[in-house]
Amino acid sequence: MRTDGSPRPGRRRRAAAALTLAPFFLFGLAFEVVPVLTLVRSSLVHDGAITLANFRRALTPVMLASFRNSVALSVTTAALGLVLGTVVAYALVTTRRRSVQRALTALADVTTNFGGAPLAFAFIVTLGSTGMITLLLARGGIELYPRFRIYSEPGLAVAYLYFQVPLMVLLVMPALLGIRTEWREAATSLGATAPQFWWRVGLPILAPSLLGSFLLLFANAFGAYATAWTLTGPDVNLVTVQIAALVRGEVQFDPALADALALLSLAVMALCVAGYQWLTGRARRRAA
Amino acid sequence: MRQRALWRPLALGGFVAFMTVPLVATALFSVSTRWDRTLWPEGFTLAWWARVTGRAAFRDTLVNSLLVSLATVLGAALLVTPAVYASRLRAPWARPWIELLAIVPFGLPGVVLALSLIRFYGQVPVPLVNTPAILVAAYLVLTLPFMHRSVANALDAIDVRTLTEAAQSLGAGAGRALIHVVLPNVATGVVNGGLLVFSTAFAEFTLANLLVGSRFKTFPIYLVEFTRFDARQASALAVISFAIAWAASLVLMWAAGRSGAGREAVTMR
Repeated sequence: MRTDGSPRPGRRRRAAAALTLAPFFLFGLAFEVVPVLTLVRSSLVHDGAITLANFRRALTPVMLASFRNSVALSVTTAALGLVLGTVVAYALVTTRRRSVQRALTALADVTTNFGGAPLAFAFIVTLGSTGMITLLLARGGIELYPRFRIYSEPGLAVAYLYFQVPLMVLLVMPALLGIRTEWREAATSLGATAPQFWWRVGLPILAPSLLGSFLLLFANAFGAYATAWTLTGPDVNLVTVQIAALVRGEVQFDPALADALALLSLAVMALCVAGYQWLTGRARRRAA
Repeated sequence: MRQRALWRPLALGGFVAFMTVPLVATALFSVSTRWDRTLWPEGFTLAWWARVTGRAAFRDTLVNSLLVSLATVLGAALLVTPAVYASRLRAPWARPWIELLAIVPFGLPGVVLALSLIRFYGQVPVPLVNTPAILVAAYLVLTLPFMHRSVANALDAIDVRTLTEAAQSLGAGAGRALIHVVLPNVATGVVNGGLLVFSTAFAEFTLANLLVGSRFKTFPIYLVEFTRFDARQASALAVISFAIAWAASLVLMWAAGRSGAGREAVTMR
């Protein structure tokens, strides 16, 4: 029961609420909003006037190539992660063995949090020129090197899949669980084949969450830096590697240039995350 | 029928192999004498472990990472819990803004966050640049989504308003209601969020490298240095790093299993 006749005056309550909220919002302003807005401003201002000149200067052939590489790597690993993750999740959802389902969901849960330097190093040990799997395949007559190198873009894609696939499994499992067996049975009793069911019923239901997951996986790869840096150093030309080099001052330091690049990648990421939010919101409303 | 049953073990077996082989290989590599010509390590030794853990820098970087991660956990709990509580109880207007601030870090690449902090705090007269304090602040931004999600889920699972009003009708002040009635009920959420925050901050490399670098070496920075010149000792460090992330996740799952609440794990790298 609400007791609105309580003796505390509303003003004091509001003051107390403001006091509990203040630290959070002050922190958000000081370390999230204002610093990012500083970047936005400095990337748009050149010689005291608002202009897009910084963006034009930033998009040198090398930088354009870095965007192409980052997008290609992100699309590849997001698409492969989407397909492989969905297959694994579907196998998990439909398995009759509860213990297998629990154990592998836990495995996905743990491994999607692995990343960065240790992960990159684990892949050097596994698929490097004298890695365990490399040696094993060589024994079987398959020479990976020099055609494949873990220190290159394809190698990086394999390492990224290590956190993309389990993330996809976790993202898509709730949506797959939402497909009721009764729907499947209803479709079958009306004469639909399995492919027909998936094409006409399953896929349209899953579409928003699949597309949303793809966007999140894309952003996950696009913003990644630690794995790429540990594995390939400056050899692979990615947007995050370029920005980090500018931050560390390894190349001639032009602040406006770095800011413009950062803002472009921020825009790519923001679109992905906003799209993900919108699509999962839609999926949730539809499920409700 | 046989064909239909076969794809499942293939998919699941392939998944397990892909997820575990790199970890097993790293662990084996860290205890093998030599393993670059033969299928199986030529012999086993603990020498690399002894050498890498014997260095003073090992202890220093481990302590640095622990301190930064714990400070981040504490800061995240203190910033997020009261704010989310207030937004559920007295200030519903704040809710969308809190959610916005907690979703933005998902779209903020580590390199961009580092650049924006260096740019802004380089031009204001606050001595933050190159200090561990700015690293903790950056980690707080990075992990805001985790702490927010966990605390919000825990708070939404109980009826905050009724609980608080019951406490207040019994004579407790707002502060006492929060500490004695609401907090015990959201403790699981704070602990869950704290574990995610801890394992993220502990393994983080990008921000540490760009914001403080060699001035305040964390464990992941130490690891990356070793991958450049001694692979065997680096593999021992990688195993430690995996073990800590694994332990945090196990505690998390154990806590989630106990409270019966699931969690949404979405991490950005």
